[in-house]
Amino acid sequence: MNMLEVKQLTKDFGGLRAIDSLDLTIGKQEILGLIGPNGAGKSTAFNCIAGVYAPTMGDVYFEGSRINGQKPWVLCKKGIARTFQIVKPFATKTVLYNVMVGSFANTNKRSEAKEKAMQILEFLQFADKKDIRAGNLTIGDRKRLEIARALATEPKLLLLDEVMAGLRPSEVDELVDMVRRLRQSGITIFVIEHIMRAIMALSDRIVVIHFGRKIAEGSPEKVASDENVIKAYLGGEYVVS
Amino acid sequence: MTPKKINNCALVLIVLIAFGVPLVVRSATYLHILILLYMYAYLTTSWNLVGGFAGVLPLGHAAFVGIGAYTSTILSLQYGVSPWLGMIIGGLLAAIVGVIIGKPTFKMRGAYFALATIAFGEGIRVLIENIDYLGPLNFNGPRGLQIPPLDTGLSRFMFEAKEPYYYIILVMLVAVLALTYFISRSKLGFYLNAGGEEPEAAMALGVNVARAKLIAMAMSCFLTALAGTFWAQLTLYIHPKSIISLDLSFEIAFIALIGGRGSIAGPVLGALLLRPVSDFSRIYFGDTVPGLHLIIFGVVLIVVMIYQPRGLQEPLTRAYNRLIHRFFGPQGSGRAA
Repeated sequence: MNMLEVKQLTKDFGGLRAIDSLDLTIGKQEILGLIGPNGAGKSTAFNCIAGVYAPTMGDVYFEGSRINGQKPWVLCKKGIARTFQIVKPFATKTVLYNVMVGSFANTNKRSEAKEKAMQILEFLQFADKKDIRAGNLTIGDRKRLEIARALATEPKLLLLDEVMAGLRPSEVDELVDMVRRLRQSGITIFVIEHIMRAIMALSDRIVVIHFGRKIAEGSPEKVASDENVIKAYLGGEYVVS
Repeated sequence: MTPKKINNCALVLIVLIAFGVPLVVRSATYLHILILLYMYAYLTTSWNLVGGFAGVLPLGHAAFVGIGAYTSTILSLQYGVSPWLGMIIGGLLAAIVGVIIGKPTFKMRGAYFALATIAFGEGIRVLIENIDYLGPLNFNGPRGLQIPPLDTGLSRFMFEAKEPYYYIILVMLVAVLALTYFISRSKLGFYLNAGGEEPEAAMALGVNVARAKLIAMAMSCFLTALAGTFWAQLTLYIHPKSIISLDLSFEIAFIALIGGRGSIAGPVLGALLLRPVSDFSRIYFGDTVPGLHLIIFGVVLIVVMIYQPRGLQEPLTRAYNRLIHRFFGPQGSGRAA
């Protein structure tokens, strides 16, 4: 059974069709990359999967059951966690507090939530900053905090929305490494990314969308040499024919 | 001594001193001022569950004070129900009303929520001002209700001296502070704070933000209504202008904002600072400049918001920690409750 199946997903905003009949599947423990030019509908696709928007048409199946239109907090408890492209830390609270909000998803006990949060922070080599206010973190650490919070909910499927944008190259390498370790620990990962070096190195498969439509799918190498993809990114006149 | 132990000792000491005050202060006037101070600290702490932790700004809490006061008073005047029982019934009624009001209004953000709650509070006041009889219940409209001080005693929640009132409100205040402390450390506290700061992120982390806010609203309204009954029994006379006034709703918010919203000590600090200003300006300038205290509140609020936007509890906590540091050495410095 596939972890996630998206069938004919369509999302309209007023007269604008942000996503048009998108199909995709993610197998267990796979890393699927989603790329596309700005405004292609990548984040909208994430929002439809994570329950922020209800799809206009089409279906989303998570572990075989249909989840369209279910609320984000319900989906979170079922095992879908996500990060936000524009980071949303609880700025006046400490790093540990932020992560504990996530780990409360599976327990009602403060001590258990704290223990779980500390485990996550140590896994991400973030424990030394646990008492810093989230509002005082650097952008790199804020992105790391997004991931830490999401992981604290113990997800089966993790949606990463441009977690590497704005990071230094060394930080990107660290994160790539970390995402690989996450997969090894059994988590399925769906990642939107603009940094090609990272997404090419990470993904098992890549889906490319443009104006809400899927224009290519396959291994990183295959996608990178695909004529439609190059056209979408660079414009028609750059394609060598 | 560990910082935790020092904090606990300080806390116990403060509570003991508070309980000992009536042994020293014999003047009914000063006791009354202290009773009002505790009552406002209690009201603000109750308000804080929604206004502080849930990150919204309700400005209609006087309505719940009114619901509590009118419920217990009408029940005791017309049906002979003990005000203690009426207090609980009023609280439950307020909680139900609070949830009904909260359900649609929590969808609004920022100033719109505040405006909606002002409208609700004023609506309740105007409603009661215009009702003489609702079925068998006598509200007596704008003239209000008087509680004849016939039989005093604990079971009737009515006393000739001020001391019993003092102890009752002090116990209520300590209880609500303890409750706030436990909530702030519980899952609900984490969820309220998270939902108040970044609702979208909170929802993605499994927080049903609307549900957490409604639970907080129900508790806050219940507790607020209890103070309404206390107020009615203290003054033995309630009328809509006094007990459901917009001034009251604003004063609660002032105290919270100046003391520090969302902190445990904030409402108490705010009340300690503002209530004496309010009482003494009324005693000394009540005839010449009525409403002077509101002007002072406004000025203080502006200054605090500019220099300490998170309220006075923050610099005071820091000062307290420095003090501990100085007297008990470096291991003594920790966070105050």
